[in-house]
Amino acid sequence: MRRTSRRTALLAVGSLAGAAAIGAGATELAQPSATAQPIPPPEDLMREHGVLKRILLCYREAGRLVLAGQPLPTRPVHDGAVIIRDYIESFHEGLEEAYVFPRLRQANVLVSTVDTLLIQHARGRRITASIIAGTTQPVRASAARQLIASMDSFVRMYEPHEAREDTVIFPRFRQITPAKTLTSLGERFAEEERKLFGRTGFTDMVNKVAAIEESLDIADLAAFTPEA
Amino acid sequence: MSRVRRHYAAGVAVCLLGVLVGVAGCGAAQSKAKPIQATTTAAAPTVRLQAIAGLGEVLVDSHGKALYMFPPDHRRAVTCTGPCAGSWPPLRLTKQTTPSAGPGVHADLLGSDPDPDGGRVLTYNGWPLYTYVADLTSRQAVGQALNLNGGYWYVLRASGQPVVPAGAPVPR
Repeated sequence: MRRTSRRTALLAVGSLAGAAAIGAGATELAQPSATAQPIPPPEDLMREHGVLKRILLCYREAGRLVLAGQPLPTRPVHDGAVIIRDYIESFHEGLEEAYVFPRLRQANVLVSTVDTLLIQHARGRRITASIIAGTTQPVRASAARQLIASMDSFVRMYEPHEAREDTVIFPRFRQITPAKTLTSLGERFAEEERKLFGRTGFTDMVNKVAAIEESLDIADLAAFTPEA
Repeated sequence: MSRVRRHYAAGVAVCLLGVLVGVAGCGAAQSKAKPIQATTTAAAPTVRLQAIAGLGEVLVDSHGKALYMFPPDHRRAVTCTGPCAGSWPPLRLTKQTTPSAGPGVHADLLGSDPDPDGGRVLTYNGWPLYTYVADLTSRQAVGQALNLNGGYWYVLRASGQPVVPAGAPVPR
């Protein structure tokens, strides 16, 4: 079996297993199609952005709870921050820094934007470290407010950050990268993910985030629909 | 033959993966050899000392970029590869170049280790040396004491000892 088709099959198995693990509750995982194609690098990176977006939503919800006078839900926040550190900041951003940004630099494309993104990666990593350190145990109200401020700044930075990458950086990266190279990069990304997180790495991360959403009672997608 | 020279005689790598600042681009032949890597050529590396605010004098590369050690390497092997090496580009050596020690840096502490991604990586006091991709200018070390990619990252003194802030894990 070629690497590509093997990965496609593994992703399918992983996603199905993840869906089964969640069961028939409010949380649903995307199902792979029967004719799933290999994942191109931009799509791979964008679905990882999806993991980050869902944790940003958890940060928002934690802030909303504190503003409503409830204690900071330290465990969900801590678990979300650890996923951000290990999966987003160490792995996803590492892929960008290893394979995407250098190509743009070599092509002299969007160089100042890449610089800004790198600076934001660095700032984000520091903020995440402070959130992890601050949520190892229940916190007092003053510390909770400080953590909420850190989470707010993180959300405020990363929403435009990943939007810019999705709409500007990745399309340009795709434009300047030959198709064969994109295919090879897709294989490399899959291999790196498998080495670090196992064969169902992405699905496992989605399941972990889904569990955090459940604990914060924000897992029901329909609940976000405004009333007519 | 010294450890350093022996390693350079055996060195095979020409390009740095993901080194972003201050180096020239690779030739076309290299790009064809590894088409998925955006590669750049390293200049002859010189390990120097430079003062960085809040840290004092620490090791830097030829371009003034702070050099870091990674405790999981255990002074034995390069363990930061793949996406990790995108964030922390190792100070790779070229076959044609020999590293040198600037004033105050101990040449006898220079060495090299094989890089699983290819070629060899410069070491100091046994620690493989890395830069941090977010250090966009010299005289900064924004990766100092950052816990990322499975461990803490520290800059180094000329003695070869890492600069470990109070409360941070001490490398062994």
